[in-house]
Amino acid sequence: MDREVRMIGRLALFLWIAGWMVAAFVWAPLVPVLGETTRVLYFHIPAAWVTVLALAWSMGHSVLYLRRRRIEHDHHAAAAAEIGILFCVAATISGSLWAKAMWGSYWNWDPRETSIFFLLLVYAAYLALRSAIEQEERRARLSAIYSALAFVTVPFLMFVVPRIYFTLHPDPIINPRGKLDMDPRIRIVFFAMLAGFTGLYFWLQTLRVRVARLEHRLDES
Amino acid sequence: MPSNGSNSGAAVWAILRKECRSEWRTRYGLSAALLFAITTLTSVSFAVGRLTDRTDMLAALLWVVLLFAALASLSHAFVREVEGHTLTLLRLVASPTAIGLGKLLFNLVFLVVIEAVTVPLYLMLMGAPPPRWGAFLALLGLGSLGLACAATLIGAVISQTRGRGALFAGVSLPLLLPVLAAAVSGMRAQWAGGPIAAEARLLGAYAAALLAASLLLYDHLWED
Amino acid sequence: MSAVLASAAPDTAVALEARDLTHRYGRRIGLEPVSFALGAPGVVAITGANGSGKSTLLRIVAGLLRATGGTAVLTVEGHAIAPAERRCWVGYAAPELSFYDELSVEENLVFAAEARGLDAPAAAAAAALARVGLDSRAGDRVPALSSGMKQRLRLAFALLHRPPVLLLDEPGSHMDDEGRATLAGLVEQERRARLVLIATNDEREWRLAEQRIELRGRGLGHPA
Repeated sequence: MDREVRMIGRLALFLWIAGWMVAAFVWAPLVPVLGETTRVLYFHIPAAWVTVLALAWSMGHSVLYLRRRRIEHDHHAAAAAEIGILFCVAATISGSLWAKAMWGSYWNWDPRETSIFFLLLVYAAYLALRSAIEQEERRARLSAIYSALAFVTVPFLMFVVPRIYFTLHPDPIINPRGKLDMDPRIRIVFFAMLAGFTGLYFWLQTLRVRVARLEHRLDES
Repeated sequence: MPSNGSNSGAAVWAILRKECRSEWRTRYGLSAALLFAITTLTSVSFAVGRLTDRTDMLAALLWVVLLFAALASLSHAFVREVEGHTLTLLRLVASPTAIGLGKLLFNLVFLVVIEAVTVPLYLMLMGAPPPRWGAFLALLGLGSLGLACAATLIGAVISQTRGRGALFAGVSLPLLLPVLAAAVSGMRAQWAGGPIAAEARLLGAYAAALLAASLLLYDHLWED
Repeated sequence: MSAVLASAAPDTAVALEARDLTHRYGRRIGLEPVSFALGAPGVVAITGANGSGKSTLLRIVAGLLRATGGTAVLTVEGHAIAPAERRCWVGYAAPELSFYDELSVEENLVFAAEARGLDAPAAAAAAALARVGLDSRAGDRVPALSSGMKQRLRLAFALLHRPPVLLLDEPGSHMDDEGRATLAGLVEQERRARLVLIATNDEREWRLAEQRIELRGRGLGHPA
């Protein structure tokens, strides 16, 4: 029964993302300046969103681990970091391709590029730290400390970098006034993809945590 | 609640003095760090020459040199305790917070000494125009505070891993990027004659945030 | 502060209770479940095969190690002492305890006394050194000491703040006959006032105790 529910869930997620991807090509209009590159929107931004979501998830579970000392929280933190790196790379590459098409170069140290690169560094450092500690409790505790401290930098980078450098990056979709100035069809496909990516993330997250739990049990016996 | 002689202020002060005395007797960490800073400085100076009219480059390179020197030396405070097997003693006589703060103050003193040698040399070798000293020193001080706060906690974490020193630079860099960004931009404004208040506030706030987070996290540092 | 110290001296009511206390290092068992209830004053020997967890047990009681299962409760005058506060109430001496090579014997102890917030650090250090018969070597650097002398220094470190609980891990190791006599004398003085735990397999040491706890681990940190 449980297996069937999971199976149906996975299938629905696949169909959802695939369906909206088709809609992005045949139904949603293109934005004048962006032209054909409009469609990167449906992939790039959800990937970037999941990157940030995974980072926050990892930090949250790190703090929970320090409070409760349940190894489960460490599994969550590590899984989120691994998946976060995956999506961070996806967002970076898609952004870089888009930058080549629009700005003429793959990499330009635009503030947005800088901040996503920074997130990549945080994740990579976190995983490097983990790999350097053998003992399970110690690894969980020390990487949680790192993760909690690293989170301090996030608001600062979001605040420091944009105010110091001029950005060419299009406005974030929800601009400061909280107004959405996009075509309703683009908006629908975009938010549907956002939901799809979020679902994809949580599915991967549960998979990774289950693997970690099994590995842990194998280690114990 | 009974208490038996636990006074954080005294412990922090005792640790700071012990660190200074140990360092002064061996001079191992300080000489290595100074050598490193001066080597970096000379290679930068040799590679780019005098930059009298490029104050933007001067600002960036100054912080790169200082960041290198800090990354090469600040993990030392804890690694030395682990390698000398003296951490047990330290943990028995002081609370983790007192140890963290004592080491933080020592790292700060250490940075100031390195800067006192490196910065004048840098200004001379690079042919920098005279800085506005008030703004210059304020930025230097706040930037060093941020560097020391991040490096102390990460140093304590790193000292418990297999690689120890080797990982330190890579793991602390993400935490030091905001310091680098704000400090470089402030330094640039300082030479260009612009206001530095915004950057100084940012550096101060960042250091304060790191310090606050550290104070919450020190307690979890040692449990085995 | 001296009033506080006095309260820690002779007749402090101390109890130590362990319930199913266990520790695992990953998949290896460091300490098989052990339960006991002890009260001061008295001398208790902890014996067991190598790797049965004698040192692990003492480290947990000292608050240096977080147990992975069960509880160890230390109460002083009716108040349970949190692991993070134990260092104020226990004196700990173990072979893994090392001192700062670049400081003299006396400086090491004075530093410990200052960090602990003791009232008269120099006097406390001198008194502790005199008790273990190391006062003539106070000015020597630690590396100049023989291993038996270092063991005396560890005992002095444990006695420094006159704690109500003494945790001695293999206290007689590396000691000559005179050193062992000093140790026996110290235990004799402490037996009426404090709770002394001695982890040892040496008959000369466990004969000093009136109670014995035998750890039943299979030894050598065997897999679960």
